[in-house]
Amino acid sequence: MASRYDRAITVFSPDGHLFQVEYAQEAVKKGSTAVGIRGTNIVVLGVEKKSVAKLQDERTVRKICALDDHVCMAFAVFTIFIGLTADARVVINRARVQCQSHKLTVEDPVTVEYITRFIATLKQKYTQSNGRRPFGISALIVGFDDDGIPRLYQTDPSGTYHAWKANAIGRSAKTVREFLEKNYTEDAIADDNEAIKLAIRALLEVVQSGGRNIELAIIKRNQPLKMFSAKEIELQVTEIEKEKEEAEKKKSKKSA
Amino acid sequence: MAATFFGEVVKAPCRAGTEEEEEEEEEGRRETPEDREVRRQLARKREVRLLRRQTKTSLEVSLLEKYPCSKFIIAIGNNAVAFLSSFVMNSGVWEEVGFAKLWNEWCRTTDTTHLSPAEAFCIFYHLKSNPSVILCQCSCYVAEDQQYQWLEKVFGSCTRKNTQVTILTCRHVTDYKTSESTGSLPAPFLKALKTQNFKDPACCSLLEQPNIVHDLPAAGVLSYCQVWKIPAILYLCYTDVMKLDLITVEAFKPILSSRSLKSLVKNIPQSTEILKKLMTTNEVQSNIYT
Repeated sequence: MASRYDRAITVFSPDGHLFQVEYAQEAVKKGSTAVGIRGTNIVVLGVEKKSVAKLQDERTVRKICALDDHVCMAFAVFTIFIGLTADARVVINRARVQCQSHKLTVEDPVTVEYITRFIATLKQKYTQSNGRRPFGISALIVGFDDDGIPRLYQTDPSGTYHAWKANAIGRSAKTVREFLEKNYTEDAIADDNEAIKLAIRALLEVVQSGGRNIELAIIKRNQPLKMFSAKEIELQVTEIEKEKEEAEKKKSKKSA
Repeated sequence: MAATFFGEVVKAPCRAGTEEEEEEEEEGRRETPEDREVRRQLARKREVRLLRRQTKTSLEVSLLEKYPCSKFIIAIGNNAVAFLSSFVMNSGVWEEVGFAKLWNEWCRTTDTTHLSPAEAFCIFYHLKSNPSVILCQCSCYVAEDQQYQWLEKVFGSCTRKNTQVTILTCRHVTDYKTSESTGSLPAPFLKALKTQNFKDPACCSLLEQPNIVHDLPAAGVLSYCQVWKIPAILYLCYTDVMKLDLITVEAFKPILSSRSLKSLVKNIPQSTEILKKLMTTNEVQSNIYT
């Protein structure tokens, strides 16, 4: 059945599927794993980093992008797009233009929800036009609004968007999400450091070969985005491994 | 073929075409000697050969006739191969008894002497301490026309009632037919399919209808075992990551408790470490997918 109704985006199958949109969601699974966690005073974005080709300039392979940078850096909106790189570039450009247009028209920076809604609406338009295919990308959009509350939104190729406390997209996102469901507690995210550790632990579930392949960024209220260096991530990973060992020792003592 | 307004491609019957088709068929029957020669060369190129590693000579009889076995474990696909490499082959000494050399359009290399997990190969091993246990690591694609040849060269045509066969392979989760949406499936997950003579319990739930198994694992090995009444079980891992992936390989772990593998696996924590090392850490960022 699928083979007759999956070539055109504007055709529903008899059982109500839009196969092109579902296939676009498969394209997202071909990208790396990204995780976003919303703490009480912090938002953490972590993504799996794959090595770049030898002759490629690493600076041009960035996954965490700013959508809007404010003069005082009090509020800012950052995003990670996972899926088709070219589609991500196009959507980021449109979103950036929209952020500036909004600021000039309304004299206020965009809220995280506003720009997420804009991106989601754009994606939905491409699931309803003849001759165009959906964007093969999912995004995690984070930032602080001027009320000081941290926000994390996720969009997918169908054009839906939701607010999340913590979420993962990309390869093996399900495994990471299950880990987050088990380990996300109000205590864990109340402390900034614990929120960072939770993001790294979630990524370590699926990232092969540990801390070397993780890129991490945090935003704290009224502070600019901070990218973690490889050393800082290694430190966190060592701490996490120590805590794991101690927890296991305690467990074996208790059972003995 | 015709395209509709909505962009669908449909097969449209064409009355004008049938007359031409009949003419073409007649011409086709008049085969020239060149055609015959081309066909012969192609058949030779696609021949499946089972060779000994050291001497590179072909085996005169089928593999299981030369090395009768009580347990035959086959891994088809890179994730299944990685699972056996780290969990089974590292507990015990395995000696290579032969390898299969075949070419088809899927092959990127014709040289099977330099092996790495990244390249396609099909190698047979037996356990030195118990030579009746044979293992096959097959990471090359065996085309439809080559599957029967492969089976003949490996199994031969004798019945072997005291052999038990275990097959491990992977499939993409979008091939799994179910009323649930693929997004909600707990990929990767394991399903089993067994022949009538296999009496032991499976380590996971059985594959439900209308799902079918494709290619060498099913069309080949499992069907052969069913026909010749050999007890065999196929463990199929449905995953959403078809390339070498840690989570997919670990999804095979329930099989370690099965009767055929239990005695062969000794050190599980060490195996997990070896598996992590096997994972390609130098995988370069694809420019298409971020």
